[in-house]
Amino acid sequence: MLLILGVIVAGYALLAPLTSLDAAQSAGAPLLADRLWFHIATFIAMFVVMATAWNIIGGITGYAAFGNVAFFGIGAYTTGMLIAKAKWPFLAALPVAPVVSTAFATLVGLPLLRLRGHYFAVASLGVGVAVGELVQNVEYGGQPVFGGASGLFLPIYAVDNRGLFFFYLMVLAAALSIAVTWWVLRSRFGYGLIAIRENEEAAAVIGVNTTAYKVAAFALAAALTGLAGGIFSQWNVFINQDNAFPIEYNVQMILMALLGGTGTVFGPAAGAVLLQLLIQFLGGSLPVSAEIPFVSDTARPIVAQVILGVLLVTVVIFVPRGVIDFFGGRTRLSMSYLRRSLRETSL
Amino acid sequence: MSDPVPSTQPQLELRQVTKRFGGVAAVDGVTFEVAKGDIVGIIGPNGAGKTTLLNCISGLHRLNGGDIRWQGASISGMAPHRIAKLGIGRTFQIVRPFGSMSVRENAAIGALFGSADARRRPKEAFEIADEVLALVGLAAKAGHPVSALTIPDRKRLEVARAVATRPHLLLLDEVMAGLNNVEIDEALEMVRAVHATGVTVLLIEHVMRVIIGICRRAIVLDFGQVLAQGEPDVVLRDERVIQAYLGERYAKRLKP
Repeated sequence: MLLILGVIVAGYALLAPLTSLDAAQSAGAPLLADRLWFHIATFIAMFVVMATAWNIIGGITGYAAFGNVAFFGIGAYTTGMLIAKAKWPFLAALPVAPVVSTAFATLVGLPLLRLRGHYFAVASLGVGVAVGELVQNVEYGGQPVFGGASGLFLPIYAVDNRGLFFFYLMVLAAALSIAVTWWVLRSRFGYGLIAIRENEEAAAVIGVNTTAYKVAAFALAAALTGLAGGIFSQWNVFINQDNAFPIEYNVQMILMALLGGTGTVFGPAAGAVLLQLLIQFLGGSLPVSAEIPFVSDTARPIVAQVILGVLLVTVVIFVPRGVIDFFGGRTRLSMSYLRRSLRETSL
Repeated sequence: MSDPVPSTQPQLELRQVTKRFGGVAAVDGVTFEVAKGDIVGIIGPNGAGKTTLLNCISGLHRLNGGDIRWQGASISGMAPHRIAKLGIGRTFQIVRPFGSMSVRENAAIGALFGSADARRRPKEAFEIADEVLALVGLAAKAGHPVSALTIPDRKRLEVARAVATRPHLLLLDEVMAGLNNVEIDEALEMVRAVHATGVTVLLIEHVMRVIIGICRRAIVLDFGQVLAQGEPDVVLRDERVIQAYLGERYAKRLKP
């Protein structure tokens, strides 16, 4: 049931821009608004990748990683450097991004994943921030290695209809992340990860190699996130610390996974679509943006932060299994559902 | 039911096993052997080091001294999952089910990872899970979520998950604690059934009826040391054992 729903949503997402673009071009209608929708759709797909990837380590394995943006940035800078400095073609540089971010995740995962709970969360956040700072500030012979504070400019990728190309590429990455999650949840590997989440010592004494499994989950999340970063760098043509290592992405991808439903195949994707639309709306970036009553345009970003914060708390308390819980016909949103959730989540 | 006869070759050997927490020696120079096919009980007052000893065997604690050997080879310092793959399964005193999974899935995870002989596919693991759930008497509740299980059933599930790993040696940490008399009888049947499949059993228990009922040997721990070991009814009449449990005054009063 859920699968059918997912296919319908994915199919619609793929085809809708095509038809709207045709319609817009043939009618000579506001192409600008259309390009904006494309941009937003690609952004949404990017967050589908990140939230779905986070779900592998955070949702399925139960390790609340707060620094996954490091993998995004490493992916972006890997592809960016190869294109801008080594003059590699984009499609050759892109596959290197997940390789480098995976290697990095394995390296930092080995010590980090010895920590549990809050300790892991804080340490991973530290890594996320540190990598961004390093990339901006590393110098060699007085010259910034990675473009420094002025960032890194990439040559524009020559392809017909660039917007559509990068949209499809990002959707492909999103589909790959979902497919990987689907496979993980049905595999021996996935059962091992869930066992670790539920009780790590119990998992160990029935024969789960907990260290190897945790690092593998972390590396898998890093690979997918790094892939998204690699696509982003060429799509955006310019990368710097601010857009390749935005700290708020760390929180956003977790909130998306929570909102949609952690540990599920489609939950994080659903959460990414919903939340990214909301963020764009609150930020005033949607072409359909309505005014928020009593809020001036300049105050919108601040109000957006407040609303996201309130949403996070509300979701964690009242919809702990995510909105995906309401699809599939088994549970329905009702007062009794909310009351039960409140009972379950309040200590 | 024909019990397998224990062979003379020791399957598990503990030599001067010591585990300290800070200045306290929770396990202090413990030495004993368990023969293949045997069924041995560990008893002792609260805090005697019984669970710590089990944690040492299953690799959750690193030893501060001594050696643990499994079928002749040392397993000291080995990671828990590797010890599990060698065929040493265990349960926890406070049950640790995988809460988000069904009863059947819990048992299947044991089958998926435990045995060293095959990397099983989930489908095969579920078949083994069904066999094991029948053995421990949980077959009717296979589809239930863990949260729907009663305490005795959760203890059964704990055993099922361990048995599903196809262990040669099963370490049971107080699987009968907190059960009433009828439930203890059922649990005893379950342990006998598991033992009859050829599994060596080393169990911690407070309930004397269990020790006398099924154990061939009993080992008494007190303050981390072996106080006495031998046949259960002999050991339980040992004056030092009675002292450890009831205190010196009562031990004197019990004297004929």
